[in-house]
Amino acid sequence: MISKPTHRPTYYEELRQKGYSRRDFMKFCSMIGAYLGLEASGIAQVANALQKTSRVPVIWLHFQECTCCSESFIRSSHPIVADIILDKISLDYTETLMAASGHQAEAAMHKTMQDFNGEYILCVEGSVPTAEDGVYCCIGGKSAMQILDEAAAGAKAIIAWGSCACNGCVQAAKPNPTRATPIHKLVKGKPIIKVPGCPPIGEVMAGVIVHVITFGRLPELDRVGRPKAFYSKRVHDTCYRRPFYDAGLFVETFDDENAQKGYCLYKVGCKGPMTYNACGVTKWNNGTSYPIQSGHGCFGCSEENFWDNGPIYRQMANFPGFGIEADADKIGMVAAGATAVGIAAHAIATNFRKAKLIDDLIHEGKDAEKEL
Amino acid sequence: MAERIVVDPVTRIEGHLRIEAEIKDGKISEAYSSGTMVRLLEEILKGRDPRDAWAFVGRVCGVCTTVHSLASCRAVEDALGIVIPPNAELVRNIMYCTQYMHDHVVHFYHLHALDWVDVVSALKADPKKTSEIAQSISNWPKSSPGYFSDLQKRLTTFVESGQLGIFANGYWGHPAYKLPPEVNLIGVAHYLEALEWQKEIVKVHTIFGGKNPHPNYLVGGMACAIGLDDVSGINAERLAYVEQLLKNAKDFINQVYIPDLLAVAPYYLDWGAIGGGLGSYMSYGDLPTNGYNDPSSFKFPSGVILNKDIANVQDVDLRNDTEVQEFIKRSWYEYDGGEDAGLHPWAGESRVKYTGPKPPYEHLNVNEKYSYLKTPRWKGNAVEVGPLARVLIGYARGREDFKAVVDSTLAKLNVPVGALFSTLGRTAARGLESILVADWALEFYDSLILNLKNGDTRMAEMEKFNPAKWEKTAKGVGHTEAPRGALAHWIVIEDTKIKNYQLVVPTTWNASPRDPNGNMSAYEAALKDTPIADPEQPVEILRTVHSFDPCLACAVHVYDEDGKHVSRVKVL
Amino acid sequence: MASITHSSPHKLRRVFVWQLPVRVYHWLNALAIVALCITGYFIGNPPALLSGAEASDRYLFGWIRFVHFVAAYIFFFNFLFRIYWGFVGNKYADWKNFIPTNKKFFQEIWQVLSIDIFLKKNKEHMSVGHNALAGLVYFFTFIAFMVQCITGFALYANMSDWWFADLFIWASWLFGHDDFALRNWHHATMWFFIVFAMVHVYLVFYHDYVEGRGETSSIVGGWKFIDEEAFHKDQQDTAEWEVKKKGRAIR
Repeated sequence: MISKPTHRPTYYEELRQKGYSRRDFMKFCSMIGAYLGLEASGIAQVANALQKTSRVPVIWLHFQECTCCSESFIRSSHPIVADIILDKISLDYTETLMAASGHQAEAAMHKTMQDFNGEYILCVEGSVPTAEDGVYCCIGGKSAMQILDEAAAGAKAIIAWGSCACNGCVQAAKPNPTRATPIHKLVKGKPIIKVPGCPPIGEVMAGVIVHVITFGRLPELDRVGRPKAFYSKRVHDTCYRRPFYDAGLFVETFDDENAQKGYCLYKVGCKGPMTYNACGVTKWNNGTSYPIQSGHGCFGCSEENFWDNGPIYRQMANFPGFGIEADADKIGMVAAGATAVGIAAHAIATNFRKAKLIDDLIHEGKDAEKEL
Repeated sequence: MAERIVVDPVTRIEGHLRIEAEIKDGKISEAYSSGTMVRLLEEILKGRDPRDAWAFVGRVCGVCTTVHSLASCRAVEDALGIVIPPNAELVRNIMYCTQYMHDHVVHFYHLHALDWVDVVSALKADPKKTSEIAQSISNWPKSSPGYFSDLQKRLTTFVESGQLGIFANGYWGHPAYKLPPEVNLIGVAHYLEALEWQKEIVKVHTIFGGKNPHPNYLVGGMACAIGLDDVSGINAERLAYVEQLLKNAKDFINQVYIPDLLAVAPYYLDWGAIGGGLGSYMSYGDLPTNGYNDPSSFKFPSGVILNKDIANVQDVDLRNDTEVQEFIKRSWYEYDGGEDAGLHPWAGESRVKYTGPKPPYEHLNVNEKYSYLKTPRWKGNAVEVGPLARVLIGYARGREDFKAVVDSTLAKLNVPVGALFSTLGRTAARGLESILVADWALEFYDSLILNLKNGDTRMAEMEKFNPAKWEKTAKGVGHTEAPRGALAHWIVIEDTKIKNYQLVVPTTWNASPRDPNGNMSAYEAALKDTPIADPEQPVEILRTVHSFDPCLACAVHVYDEDGKHVSRVKVL
Repeated sequence: MASITHSSPHKLRRVFVWQLPVRVYHWLNALAIVALCITGYFIGNPPALLSGAEASDRYLFGWIRFVHFVAAYIFFFNFLFRIYWGFVGNKYADWKNFIPTNKKFFQEIWQVLSIDIFLKKNKEHMSVGHNALAGLVYFFTFIAFMVQCITGFALYANMSDWWFADLFIWASWLFGHDDFALRNWHHATMWFFIVFAMVHVYLVFYHDYVEGRGETSSIVGGWKFIDEEAFHKDQQDTAEWEVKKKGRAIR
């Protein structure tokens, strides 16, 4: 039933076939352009790109995950996900949404891997367990490691969705019993876009895809491999509660008077100052709110090791190597206390051990005084 | 002759599940259900701050997001003796109802519908006739001939592009698809509308919890402080937003979801006799109207029905160590007490030991251990959990609201009560409780407003948030009814740290392997005797498995008599 | 290293030990560290201010952070200057005072340990500039200075428009791009400074109390007082140091 298309219609052609006018098309391009924050000259570029490109094949794999990334993706409001999967990409494999199951599902994936070798985009949701030869996650009888190797080989680029694929997320928290491993540690020699978050914001996920298909190239990445368009600012620096931080006005406990006034959540553990994400700007679910606006601190879900940098409700993280409870201040205070005790002991001991020396000096001084 | 089929992976579920089944005389004679992915969160939780647990376990599932966080907060509050303020209970209830409405609609349209709706057949529909049918079943405004004709054009272009995307390789044209093209087109239209709608209703979570998926919870209440006279808190604007979203959701359920369900069901009434399975049902109950510690106030009553005996509903006690127990005889774990031991979750162990075949493998050895799911039992009985269990228990407990929706639906479809014990019954029950939940959500909203009017603005009980005030050891259990069924978390706290944490989740009840006595759990029992028209395209298996709304990834295998793997389902 | 008795009183000579730049460095450093520790502690654990004031009326935390950053710049460049002075300053400022390069250095460390720390003998240890143990400990503090500058500026890099802080951004990579860990270590290292300051001030008092040679005032005026015998030995050392230094310069 599915044959390899000889001519793949472009977005523009598809839109025209659907009865949209050229004017509608240009309007759509301006909206995309505005969304991406482009100057007027960039809109022509968008129009050009959409007239030339056909639907990019995408394979979306699921490993050790909770499907929150897929769920977040379908929450995108611009563009809406129906438009993405019907008009922009050809989502040829995703366990969450695809009609086919079993061998038919696998066949759809293999067909895309063959027909579009070197052209498809591989999206990975979830980490890959590498302990015990990968038996902690098997799909269709194959381990996640084997599936990833096969699918990555012919991919044009890889998008690592969410913290699982970017840093291992919750299953990689200590002691990481299944040795959950992020994608960039397993796949070499392919461009990887990391889109961390638990989950990433839906509009950010859609934005990454829109960027790739609109401009035909990967977005500019930061030093960690995240698109700068969404991860270049700290939540803290874009937070509307930032003035309260600068003023020194903090929520002391949840639901206190200060919480009702919307003061800064820093003291109840907000990790916004160390977290790079678009929450403060793009916000969640079409700009409805974000964790801090709804009264709970950020717990840094888009950062490396965030599960082990807890506890969530303390500003200082637990310190490694001192059991789970000790933070830097506790250790420091104990050290300072011990030092004070040591100093006192030394001072007392000095008066005994060096008594003669001190005594001699005193006499020496008194003798000299007499000579005056 | 018996043969074995393999469908792997089963899609449109959450997680990784594999089912192996033997087929004899066109029917499934034996089925084996296996969870093939494990993350061992219970091990990771040990030694951590109990107040953080909700965030960790929330990540068990992003589809039924919120339910684990809720169960976890309740478990810790139960252990520490925290009673949350009424406003927090109401906000949690509103978020809970939101989750139900979202989850059931997404399940019906995006995870389940393609088992009943033939997308390709919709291309042949007459838009005018489609419009007439749509207007006859509902007053939903998007029903003009032009609307359906535009949609059909879009669909045609999509199919003709040759890139079928998510619709590639479906079992289109399979004889088990019985809907006329016009109803299929309505199904496709509402598939897309529901996809757009679902991103709206979750904004209730965003308002109270800051984001969705995975909104934030808080031990002791909720973090979203009420600030009626402040721009930052929950004020009139935020509350009006919630009310509007709840009203829109109720409209969608009553004008789209339920009419579609009732329009599709008559074509598949034979499924009212297939996929019944265990006939035993359990619900922990949920939606407190007078606090978590007063189960009699729950909107969803708790109870157990054994062997379809709805005249006799038994009570559940999650603290009793002889009631809920987990077994690992057929699961890739080991217990200190040996293979046949059953452990109450407070004494539970999660030591994984994989003994299955080395990947890549063709099939599992189903005569030994074959799953990462443990096998939970209630007083030794296998029970089914989920919407059907809740609706049956509500009905059996004599709750008027349950009786009203059940009886009127049975009358509309002209089927007996017995038809509920089936794949169709399970799918229908999900719709019926959605009607109830949509009403309850607005009730809870009104109660919240009334509370605020009366001057109660407390949202969290923080007195015991400080670990210095905790007992040296404490035990708690937090239960809820997830959209997929009964869910509970058991926690043991020692020296302000988590000593043991065990989750028994709905899909574990339903999808688990056999117990030490060889008795099946719900999936395996429901699949038994399901007719399979074409082993190459076992859509029937998907219908029954999807009717449970699985929350793990799944694969289905079918074998021949010699255990040889014969059927690779071919590419269309 | 003379042991003296009641009957043979000290004959003390005055020596100019700490040059002005060293003294300025010391006090700037001390002030910067005090400012950094106090503001740093508050950044980690802000005080509770329950007040209904408008956020726009106040900038307390902004000021705390501003002081921290200004002090950090002073601290860093002051430290750089001290390294430079280690190559051009007098014998007591020379970098060789801080890094054990020969056996004599270790012998002196042992002496100081046994006399001043374990209080083994009822006598005093006579050194003019830094004693060897102090020198080594200062070397450790320099390492701590570096850790604190690197982690601090790495944390600061993303708030700064100046390219300078970006020079330290690789530290984030060292910590696996985990800014929480970076911050945690930065905070923990603060306690090294607090503990160091306690011991440092105590030992200064100890030396004055036990030896009476102007230890405390030396960092203000630069002068120390030294026993005749030790003075001559130090003169010899200075001559040797000058020859070596000239040799180094010629080469």
